[in-house]
Amino acid sequence: MSELKTMISMTLRERRDITLAILCGFLAGLAGVALLASSGYLISQAALAAQMVILVALGACLKLFGLAAAVSRYGERLFSHRATFTMLGNLRVSFFGKLSPLAPRIFHEYRSGDLLSRIVGDVESLQNLLLRVLYPPVVLLLVFTSTIFFTSFFSAAIAFVLLAGLLLTVVAVPGLFAWRKRKTKPAVRDSRADLSAEAAEFLYGFRDLKIYQQADARKRQLQSFAESYEEEKRKEGLQNTFMQSVNSFIAILTTWTVLALGAYFVAAGELDGLYLAMLVMISLALFENIAPMAVFPSHYEESRQAAARLNQITERPVPETGSGQLPEGAWGLEAETLAYTYPGEERPALRDVSFRISPGTKTAVVGPSGSGKSTLLQVLLGILPADSGTASIGGRKLNSLDPESLWSRMNTVLQHNHFFYGTIRSNLLIADEDAPDEALQEALETVGLGAFSLSQEVGEKGGNLSGGEKQRLAIARAMLKGARLWLLDEPVSSVNAATARSIYARLFRMRPDDTFVIVSHDLTGLEHMDQIIVMENGRIAENGSYAELMEAHGYFYELKQIEKSVFAS
Amino acid sequence: MDNLKQLAFAKKGMVRLLMAASVLKGLAMVGQALFFVMVADRVFLNGASFRDIIPLLGGLLAAILLRVSSGYAIGRTGRNLAAAVKKELRSELIASFADSPLLASARGQSGRKVSLLLDAVDETDGFFSLYIPQLMQTYIIPFILLAVIFFLHWPTGVIILLTAPFIPLFMAIVGKRTKTKADRQMEELGHFSGNFLDVLQGLTTLKLYGRVRGQAEVIRTNSLNFRDATMDVLKSAFLSSFALEYISMLSIGIIALEIGMSLIAFESISFFTAFFVMVLVPEFFALLKDFGSAFHSGRGGVAASEQLAGQLREERQPVVWGRETLSAVPPHLSLNGVGFRYGDGFALGPVQAEIPPYSRAAIIGASGSGKTTLLHLIAGLLPASRGNVTVNSVPREMISEKSWFGQLGYISQDPYLFAGTIEENIAIGADRETSRKEVREAAEKAGIADMVLSLEHGFDTRIGEGGRGLSGGEKQRIALARAFLKKPSVILFDEPTTGLDLKTERILQASLDELGKSATIITVAHRLHTIRQSDVILYLDSGTLLAAGSHASLMDTFKPYREAIAVQQGDEAL
Repeated sequence: MSELKTMISMTLRERRDITLAILCGFLAGLAGVALLASSGYLISQAALAAQMVILVALGACLKLFGLAAAVSRYGERLFSHRATFTMLGNLRVSFFGKLSPLAPRIFHEYRSGDLLSRIVGDVESLQNLLLRVLYPPVVLLLVFTSTIFFTSFFSAAIAFVLLAGLLLTVVAVPGLFAWRKRKTKPAVRDSRADLSAEAAEFLYGFRDLKIYQQADARKRQLQSFAESYEEEKRKEGLQNTFMQSVNSFIAILTTWTVLALGAYFVAAGELDGLYLAMLVMISLALFENIAPMAVFPSHYEESRQAAARLNQITERPVPETGSGQLPEGAWGLEAETLAYTYPGEERPALRDVSFRISPGTKTAVVGPSGSGKSTLLQVLLGILPADSGTASIGGRKLNSLDPESLWSRMNTVLQHNHFFYGTIRSNLLIADEDAPDEALQEALETVGLGAFSLSQEVGEKGGNLSGGEKQRLAIARAMLKGARLWLLDEPVSSVNAATARSIYARLFRMRPDDTFVIVSHDLTGLEHMDQIIVMENGRIAENGSYAELMEAHGYFYELKQIEKSVFAS
Repeated sequence: MDNLKQLAFAKKGMVRLLMAASVLKGLAMVGQALFFVMVADRVFLNGASFRDIIPLLGGLLAAILLRVSSGYAIGRTGRNLAAAVKKELRSELIASFADSPLLASARGQSGRKVSLLLDAVDETDGFFSLYIPQLMQTYIIPFILLAVIFFLHWPTGVIILLTAPFIPLFMAIVGKRTKTKADRQMEELGHFSGNFLDVLQGLTTLKLYGRVRGQAEVIRTNSLNFRDATMDVLKSAFLSSFALEYISMLSIGIIALEIGMSLIAFESISFFTAFFVMVLVPEFFALLKDFGSAFHSGRGGVAASEQLAGQLREERQPVVWGRETLSAVPPHLSLNGVGFRYGDGFALGPVQAEIPPYSRAAIIGASGSGKTTLLHLIAGLLPASRGNVTVNSVPREMISEKSWFGQLGYISQDPYLFAGTIEENIAIGADRETSRKEVREAAEKAGIADMVLSLEHGFDTRIGEGGRGLSGGEKQRIALARAFLKKPSVILFDEPTTGLDLKTERILQASLDELGKSATIITVAHRLHTIRQSDVILYLDSGTLLAAGSHASLMDTFKPYREAIAVQQGDEAL
């Protein structure tokens, strides 16, 4: 339960809707009980004395209670759902508030890319917290206690039986099954994870499996994983069915006991026979309300786990950051024996990296894939914390600066640039809210996207744009930001060579005095760079101007030879 | 919905069980009402002693037990039905994945396929575990109840027959209206609900642009808009269940009135009958309401079932194999007008070429010209849709799969690493027990042993999903080690374009020279020197073989090749 504390307090903030929902649910439950109780009483009454007035009363009660039940049920659904959706909104806002100081560093620690969709899914699944976990027991308790109170005027023993039924069906049985679920739940989730991993291996590795003659064996294994997952699901389902049956059996047994006791009291003359049918009907109507408790254990467990997973993320300490402010400027960068190892990895991604980038110069960082180029850029951006060594910008240590101030002085294009659902304009305005349309259009022209209309729609994650278009749009967005230090990670890898060259040419012409750091696997067009840093295996292999490196006949020279020999027909 | 129904009704045994349990449940409901009314009647009106009614209470208890246990049997059978059908669905899906000719090449679709196998199948669960059992009960129990009611007091039966049809009718009308409304709002809802994910995914961008501050407010506004739009859809759904409850309540009211009249005004029925009918009628309407809610849980599976049907309808082209076996000597390969076509899309071939033992063949062409498809055809990963590949004059289709793949090595641009240790990933190359010594030798030849031994756990280091990542060059060298361990007589090689480190580049060249001493090598070539050294070059353009021959002969006779080489060398001269 402790996992759910924050979520519960957040839910309870919607006091008005929750109170109304509980009130309506309470009324609906009572009206249902009153409906059956009155019809039981009136039919008994009619059997004793055939009076028209009873008939009229019966008709009136049925209509009144029936309508009341239906209307309040409607209100209950409306208010409880509204409270739930408002609560989800609050939850999203509060979660965002807690996640944003941890970003973007946290995204590097969780390697699995589905972290975010998992968060969203967990938040969504918490909609059952109010609707199916917190709310039903409260309403049930209210309906039961008031009905039991009413019944006690007729027979204390019968009221006691109803109380016992209440405790069993609303508290004991759901509680017991929720507790059992807590112990058995992982079986389903584990077998699902196994199946998912095995399916991914089978599908992604199919070609290699086929060649190495493992495909049939792995197919059989996949089949058996699918079966054991289904088997676990089936077991879980059967458990739910069983609990449902146990609960309805207890409920109906309670009514049976009410009938037997009532019959005994009537026969013994302790209870007026007139009330027998009514009491039995009350019990029947009362226990019709316990149906929602059948799904309580699974939803309780689900909500608990979702909350626990979310807490795990929000309870992480916010990394300490510096508070220094960085004034505007085309700053240079400096690194002194930088080293970085990804969490859980043995081999350092960067080691002993030292260089100096003077203000207003153009530097390319090149090297084979996996050599540490992008990691270096992330460290320079202050997204990844260096394990040792120092990085500084304009003579100030990177970790002494307020990251927001640091980022406000940089134009960045990452390998994956996010575009929001909206328009080209709304995505460009992120860089500069006050930029006039002409400036936006000009930025588009510079990257060769002049044909784009500013009001053109952008799908989720820029899904309706090609890889090259996204890269160019990201460059346009960075341009609009107007900072004077550029950090670009493979900014034109999906753009054709001629366009890429002209974009660079325009960019360098427009911003001749800015500092540029460009990570690239492409070795063409580096002649104009002031400095080329060649990385290999996390180290700097070579460092110098194009002419110097070609002269040296070293690592860069050889990479260049290979690139030249690549046959492109 | 129909194809799901077919799947369910194919499980005849379980459907029969559901029917039998439903009949029992219906009878138990009648019995429960009967004994209950009898007890009340005897005690209340006839002044029976408690002892007199003990047998009746016993009968009631039996009826209750029967009702609960048949209800349990129905629930249980529903779960079993869902499990059985879903197992079959998954098994068919897996089979269709394995026989899909594109699986070997199209990795882009794999994510969708995983979600099909897990989520789409799970979404059909409610249809089998809830909807079908409820459907069976709705087919059977109301008729039992109706028959009893007709027998007891036919006017009530008539009223039910007149009012009950309004419920499904009304449900259909409201359901349709809600659906159009819901469909209209679905897209909007999608955007609202996607907004949170969108903002989270863009958090890095927002931070770098200093735009985090306003976002909380955006999320709140969007959440509230989402809430209001959803409430709009829900409101009509709630309204329909409100109307449903009210209609059934009204019907019960009319019946109560009619029974009251018969009881009081006309005195045509007894208290026993009146009470009995009044207990049965709400049960009847409750069943119809239950069906209404089960219908919704069944509907959830329809979209998923369409996705599944789409996958299962996809073309299956399994590769055909025979029984002939191959020796370990490099064979003579002939491509006899071999070609491949998938649907209306890409077509390759016909390709005509001879690849003698120990020779080196290069396949070249622009990207998208079908180089890798041709390699897959030769590998036996794709079925030829025309012509064939012969191996020592025996059609590849006549050779046993085991024997062929036993002789084949394949080094792709992006070799797949399986979840497991480095040793396991290398040993997968040889289809036999291997010693650590052999694995280590293969790793040494592939130039990766030093790197492996520098790791804390050496060859026992876990790689692949959930393990540590390897760089592109290291993956290539693992693939090479697999080939060294396997010693194949035919090696297919998809040469990397760029991005490899110099060490791997050198090792690849040296290793292929070494492996080529005992094998035929067919390369999708990107390096000029690989192409020049080849005995036969196959020049592809948009799926068509434009020329085949050695470097010298193509230079002499084939202009596009000559021009391409000239451009390349011109570049080199720069």
